[in-house]
Amino acid sequence: MLSVKNLHASVDGKEILRGIDLEVKAGEVHAIMGPNGSGKSTLASVLAGNEKFTVTEGSATFEGHDLLSMPIEDRARSGLFLGFQYPVEIPGVTMANFMKLAVNEQRKFRGEEPLSAAEFLKLMREKSAVVELDPKLTSRAVNEGFSGGEKKKNEIFQMAMLDPKLAILDETDSGLDIDALRIVATGVTKLHTPQNATVVITHYQRLLDYIVPDVVHVLYKGRIIHTGDKTLALKLEKEGYDWLINDYKE
Amino acid sequence: MSAFSEIIRTFRSVGSETFRVANAEAQPFVSVDPRKLRVEVAAGASLRLLVVHEKPVASALSFLLERGARLEFTQIFLSEAFSEVRMAQAAESSCCSTVVQLASANASYRIDLDGAYAGSSLGGLFLAAEEEHCVMELRTGHNVPDCTSDSLVKGIAGGRAVGEFRGLVYVAPDAQRTDARQQSRNILLSETARIVTKPQLEIYADDVKCSHGATVGQMDAEAVLYMRQRGLSLAQARRLQIEGFAGDVVRRCGIEELGEALMTAVARKMENM
Repeated sequence: MLSVKNLHASVDGKEILRGIDLEVKAGEVHAIMGPNGSGKSTLASVLAGNEKFTVTEGSATFEGHDLLSMPIEDRARSGLFLGFQYPVEIPGVTMANFMKLAVNEQRKFRGEEPLSAAEFLKLMREKSAVVELDPKLTSRAVNEGFSGGEKKKNEIFQMAMLDPKLAILDETDSGLDIDALRIVATGVTKLHTPQNATVVITHYQRLLDYIVPDVVHVLYKGRIIHTGDKTLALKLEKEGYDWLINDYKE
Repeated sequence: MSAFSEIIRTFRSVGSETFRVANAEAQPFVSVDPRKLRVEVAAGASLRLLVVHEKPVASALSFLLERGARLEFTQIFLSEAFSEVRMAQAAESSCCSTVVQLASANASYRIDLDGAYAGSSLGGLFLAAEEEHCVMELRTGHNVPDCTSDSLVKGIAGGRAVGEFRGLVYVAPDAQRTDARQQSRNILLSETARIVTKPQLEIYADDVKCSHGATVGQMDAEAVLYMRQRGLSLAQARRLQIEGFAGDVVRRCGIEELGEALMTAVARKMENM
């Protein structure tokens, strides 16, 4: 589904990603871990198409298409979803309006008819239940005045609405209390199917108790330095990163 | 501006220089390009009036709201224009004004709250593009005790345009228990656009509640990125953001038929900014 080869990217002339290789297949859950500043969020942003970053080398294909040549909205419409670490507030724009446009733009891209108002409302009701999101929030402005937990639930709600092939969740667990974490993580698990894939970026093993990864990667200084199965996350939780990164310190 | 013409056709037009409304008028009136107009709303009567500036001329409008009268006033600038509005409000009268400038306009409003429990609410929006220069000047006079006023003026400037807002809330000596709010919110779309905003308070009474504020910012690039990540195009994301910004002013307009047409006109103008 996603094939990243030797990806290098920089911001303001500073190289952040220094040769990432990553293969994600349908039905898989990958976790990307690593110390602060190792480039995890940058990787998510570059794959999603944030123009702030410049790709200097390497390639990324998504479902056989050259991801890097697509503008950000076409990546989204092709089925790539990024759950933001810091969801943005959009004053005056209601969730319902925003989602209606997003869902119908994505349908148009796939050559499908737009949803009718009734179908859309039904979809909203169904999907808000996935993350126990208060349905009243959908008539409020996007993320405005939402608590930290509501913002993250809202990300997973949007993921449920858009039904992406590949979801990259950038520290969706940060800033969540235990209950919100369980709800968010359970939501992600419910949405997982053999046809889609999820990449979760996280600092903590805790999230992975709910979202059990098939593959765990450790990112350090812009490279994936180690890859293992779910037991790797447990070992990292217990022993930290030192045993891995000592060889890579400059 | 066909949407406006369509709507306006359904309204009755004001033909004379003086216009007196004695009863509640359910249907809105329209005044297109008024050089000089005096409007009187009799005690207890109500009026909805739309003024559209389609030609670059100077106009002077004066309103008298008698005791308990209600006015919903909407003024739209589709062309350059110079406009002066004076509003005199007697006790318990209320006025809700919406002003939208889609061209270089110079509009001034002098609102005098002359009787107790009179209330004024004003929503203003200007969109200045290219070399345009929009000016909105507001003076709200709390001349007697127990009146309320609430104004919100939003501005967007792009290109090399200039937008100006000057707002003064005047509270006369003894105008106790005044409740006055005045906000100016602005967005700059380019490095060369300018917004000058000057909210002022002049208070001579001591038992009052007055607030004012002004901000000038830029389009939130993060929000545009966020919306595009969900599949919206750049143009859609920008339009949604501007609708979000301008929407609360446009929604204040009491003439429901106009809301959608105004939003469309605002969005169309934005496409070229």
